[in-house]
Amino acid sequence: MGGALSTSVDITLNSLVLGGVFLIVATGLNIIYGLSRVMNLAHGSLYAIGAYAGYTLTTIGFNYFAAIVIAPVLVAAVGLLLERTIISPMRKRSMVYTLILTYGLMFFLDGLIKQSWGNEPRFVELPAMIKSTIPILGSHYPVFRLVTLFIIAGVMTGLMLFLNKTKIGIILRAASTIPEMVSCLGINMKHVHIGAFVLGCALAGIAGTIAGPLTTIDPLMGHEMLISSFVVIVIGGLGSLRGAVFAALLIGAVQTLAEFFITDLAMVIVYMLMAVILAFMPRGLLGEGRFE
Amino acid sequence: MDKHLTIPDNDKGITAYKIAAITVLIAGLALFPFVITNRFYISLINEMLIYGLLAMSLDVLLGYTGLLSFMHNAYLGISAYVVGLFLIHISPSSLWLALVAGVIFTSVVALPVGWVQVRTGGLAFALLTLAFGMMFHTIVWKWYGLTGGDDGLMGVPNPAITIFGWKIGDSGDPATMYLFTLVIVALCYLLTRRIIRSPFGAVLEAIRENEERAAFIGINVRMYKLFGWMLACMLAGVAGALFILYKGYIGPTTMSAFAGAGVLMMVLLGGLGTLWGPLVGAAIFIYIQDYISTMTEHWEIYLGMVVVLLVLFLPTGFVGLGSYFKRLGKE
Amino acid sequence: MKKFLFMSALLVFAVMMSMAPHAAMAADPVNIGVLVPLTGIVAQGGVEMKYGIEMAAEEKGTVLGRPIKLIVEDTQVKPPVAVTKAEKLVYKDNCKALIGVFSSGVGLALAQNIDKLNVPFLTTHVMTTQLYDLHPLVFRSGQLANDQTAVGNVKGILARENLKNRTYYVLVHDYSWGHDAGERFIALAKQNGIKIYNEKYDKAPISTKDWSSYISKIKASGVDGIYMAFITNVIPVFAKQAADFGLQAQGVKLVSAAAPGPLEMEAGGEACHGIFGASDWSWDVNNPTSDAWEMRFWEKFKTIPSDAAVHSYVGAMNLFNAIEKAGSTDAKAIADALRGISYDGPYGTVRISAKDNCMRNDAVLTETMAAPDNPFGAKVYMKVLETFPANELGPAE
Repeated sequence: MGGALSTSVDITLNSLVLGGVFLIVATGLNIIYGLSRVMNLAHGSLYAIGAYAGYTLTTIGFNYFAAIVIAPVLVAAVGLLLERTIISPMRKRSMVYTLILTYGLMFFLDGLIKQSWGNEPRFVELPAMIKSTIPILGSHYPVFRLVTLFIIAGVMTGLMLFLNKTKIGIILRAASTIPEMVSCLGINMKHVHIGAFVLGCALAGIAGTIAGPLTTIDPLMGHEMLISSFVVIVIGGLGSLRGAVFAALLIGAVQTLAEFFITDLAMVIVYMLMAVILAFMPRGLLGEGRFE
Repeated sequence: MDKHLTIPDNDKGITAYKIAAITVLIAGLALFPFVITNRFYISLINEMLIYGLLAMSLDVLLGYTGLLSFMHNAYLGISAYVVGLFLIHISPSSLWLALVAGVIFTSVVALPVGWVQVRTGGLAFALLTLAFGMMFHTIVWKWYGLTGGDDGLMGVPNPAITIFGWKIGDSGDPATMYLFTLVIVALCYLLTRRIIRSPFGAVLEAIRENEERAAFIGINVRMYKLFGWMLACMLAGVAGALFILYKGYIGPTTMSAFAGAGVLMMVLLGGLGTLWGPLVGAAIFIYIQDYISTMTEHWEIYLGMVVVLLVLFLPTGFVGLGSYFKRLGKE
Repeated sequence: MKKFLFMSALLVFAVMMSMAPHAAMAADPVNIGVLVPLTGIVAQGGVEMKYGIEMAAEEKGTVLGRPIKLIVEDTQVKPPVAVTKAEKLVYKDNCKALIGVFSSGVGLALAQNIDKLNVPFLTTHVMTTQLYDLHPLVFRSGQLANDQTAVGNVKGILARENLKNRTYYVLVHDYSWGHDAGERFIALAKQNGIKIYNEKYDKAPISTKDWSSYISKIKASGVDGIYMAFITNVIPVFAKQAADFGLQAQGVKLVSAAAPGPLEMEAGGEACHGIFGASDWSWDVNNPTSDAWEMRFWEKFKTIPSDAAVHSYVGAMNLFNAIEKAGSTDAKAIADALRGISYDGPYGTVRISAKDNCMRNDAVLTETMAAPDNPFGAKVYMKVLETFPANELGPAE
């Protein structure tokens, strides 16, 4: 043990994993916001539901990898239900109401989580083949954390391909910049809104499922993640998918380094970084953020 | 913000009927501790008044300027700490000096924060209030030597309440403190009402309704937003001073994001842009919260449900319910 | 239409509210206010505290010939909420005593208001040393205080060959209990020749979910022991994540300032083996009183008996007996009766010191490991390794 090299390997991988989870949650939030102008404060709760769904699936006999596929579908279904019942009537109204409504929704979902799964932390049983550590440049690093990194990279690549290469993806992106034009082309904006919300929820579900074994599955897990993903999308620029990538990696690295070297004030540093960046770059790192 | 807030019909004229109603209400509240001497109810109404003032201050920001603050309670907290520290370390008997110190210090903190916040747009403004609020919460939590960390600030003395050297009572006595709170809250309400009814208030409302148009006619939007922010934070500072005098204690949980959400719900429950609506909203919220959390440990579910239903079906709050029934009567 | 929907929703809500269970009014009961955290990070512990007090009330049945009525309120681990709830319990519900409470912040805020409330307040889970001789109406009978736990842990480390000659990395949750536990341990360890790696110990925020940064830091330090002061349900979380990084497999031993809760350990499974810590009780304590208590608890709640439950049970028994002894529900009379009272329960005699209002009792050093066959179906348990008598734990009277 010990050694500067193995420690830097640890720190690098830790910050990539942390930043990667931030990225998926924040991208989900960003897509919903960019396409349907809904800032969903219950996003953290959906992330938590994803984690609990993954946990429950593995306890009833599903393989961990199967759970990563099924759990997001379940969360997306919850998202569809929410969109149709309470989110869509909010579109006609000021953003303030959406924010307050989804804040209430967060309390409601968190309460339901607590009632269904209890207060004690839950742990996901991983397949034996990824349950060990692997030596990388002198550091023993858990295999499943590396697998998680590959999954994050896969999900993000898939998402980028979907948004840039498929027809639906291109329509979605166009709708985020000029919604009027897209509806002129005869595309039903209602479907775009539903699609965006469901896709965003699915991403929260994926993040929750892969974060389950990395962190703690408990009823409060969504709160911290919600705040962190806010910081990410604000620093990256609201609605900017590219900006979020840089912001997520930056916050992941800053938080990991601060926890390692300063410990005490890690979160204060993250919030201060956010304030400073916004004071000088109100539209985020790449200057692409919306300005509403 | 491209879409409008739903502001309930709010008749702005001053009628004899209104003045009479307000007088009767205040007189009724003032007589309350002499009729019902159970300390629980006195405490409950005192808390409603303090949070009512905080909710009203948030309404100045949200209902009149159209800016959302998720953690307005942070400024209540800052002021409460300053007043408490002033009473502990500087002068245990100077109630008024402590109050002024609290409000001034809160403004000094709020000014640079507001300056950064108004430079961004509406939604980023809202998210920034969350980030700054979390920062204050963390600082208070971490600064053990000064704030007592999560144990909170203890041993705050109860100064005598005096006016021009004439002693009225002791702030440690619940009924006296209640009456003191009532007087201060009523004064703040009247003062804020005066400010909001002035041309300054009209400018704020113009910004809320259409920011671009307001800018076109030569209004310095950012500056007025900052004024609105400062007014809201100073009122929150007064609420903070009352809070520490009444509770004798302040801890970081009062400054948490969850407590901030509560204040937002109070404003919404009462009705945006009415000033007195949030006072009613605070009373309803505190009563409901007390009632639900006594009954079930799953109170979060019910609280969340109430908020969702309110936003969906009663965006004007309970103040709007009045005009709804009025309309119903006419049909 | 919308308004109609809203109105009907409100109606449904009102009906649900009114259907919620209301305790039947018995003839002139003695009301006792129970303040426990039922939401927030320690909610599980709060439920177990509530169980312990409920069981004591049921077994005691009556005091002064009147039935005991418990009125439970959720503190949400928030001091201002707890104070409001306490006011409600005392002024509105006419409670004659307050019991329970987790977290020193909540406990101290209540103590601050106890003159106004004017009822005895007996805490079962406020571990701060500030509580010693704090106020004539404030008592502790429950979990070992910070100074007692530190003494127990240092004695335990010195008594075990496989713990003695290690270097300890100190990592605590960033709140007053964590700080106090860390500092007391470091001071005592230094006096006793136990090596500490970081005298300026690490503080992690309570909201920490991903411990990988801290674990990497511990890996880099090359220590072979960790002293941790975490909120109980985080202990298995940390142990699990440390096991993922292979720390335990490389021979690092974990010593905890608080006993992990059994339900949380069950969830953590094998990763929760090999955690040492001083406590006053685990179901491995074998004496007829303890064994009988465990079975009664299991029959009643179908939950693995925990130390949080047993502390609260004993604390409640001390309170009920004191009311009986006082002969009235007068605050001062109950407080006088509480001073010096003792109860022989599952973990021996628990006596409330007449000098400082806080309890003295024996303690045990336990290690978590795979459980033998047991009626509760538990897979992990806290095996008792050593027992320390009350007078060795202090403080001096």
